[in-house]
Amino acid sequence: MIHTTRHNDEITVIRPGVERLTAVNAREFKDEVSTLIEQGAYQLVIDFKDVSFLDSSGLGVLVGILKKVGSRGELTVCSLGASIEQMFRISRMDRVFTSYPNAEIAVQSMSERL
Amino acid sequence: MTQTAFSMPNSIDSVDKTVLSLKDAIEGLLEDDALFRFDICVIEALTNVVKHAKTSDVNAPVQITLTLKNDKVIVDIFDPVGATYFDIREHAPDMSDIDEMAESGRGLALILQCANDVQYGPWDNQNRLSLTFENGVHE
Repeated sequence: MIHTTRHNDEITVIRPGVERLTAVNAREFKDEVSTLIEQGAYQLVIDFKDVSFLDSSGLGVLVGILKKVGSRGELTVCSLGASIEQMFRISRMDRVFTSYPNAEIAVQSMSERL
Repeated sequence: MTQTAFSMPNSIDSVDKTVLSLKDAIEGLLEDDALFRFDICVIEALTNVVKHAKTSDVNAPVQITLTLKNDKVIVDIFDPVGATYFDIREHAPDMSDIDEMAESGRGLALILQCANDVQYGPWDNQNRLSLTFENGVHE
């Protein structure tokens, strides 16, 4: 389901691999990202470039992944389209997740903090 | 006024497909903001029915009616047979009261926040959630 790209051996960019991240596929997404974390990937960028919609189940798994990363690393998001940005704002997730315009900027910013 | 009936298998795998079919049926009627609100409300409402509405017949599909009336789009979702009366207006928390680090519990709040109108009550021996959407600024 997910597609990953490693940057500088430390930062992993994750593309969910679905157009709509909802209750139908949110669990599978969480399980696959959790496996990455268990394998030692703690600096994560989730790239929503190809995702047009996110429901509350999708939001819930993002929070779950954030908690799983915990103090070991960082989770940011990027490339939010209008609908996902609106969802983040309505659900107040814009206060929880740092968002970047695209993966390149997100990786650059994260690498400067390492 | 035009009215179209839809039927959805009572399974989580069917929710997104049904929402996309409903969106196809109202193509061009709602502007982007209202269409987003329609999308989020209907997916949350149908997911809630599949996950939480107890039914005496798990094979019975979920019945949905789409009504186009003047400038309004109305989605009626009928609870499955045997489901307990559950008025989301009485149970939904305010979004500001939800723990930001909670992994669930936002669906009902999103419905109340995003629909222009929410009604719930008995209708033809079933309980019906009725969601109304219209273009324009939504507070």
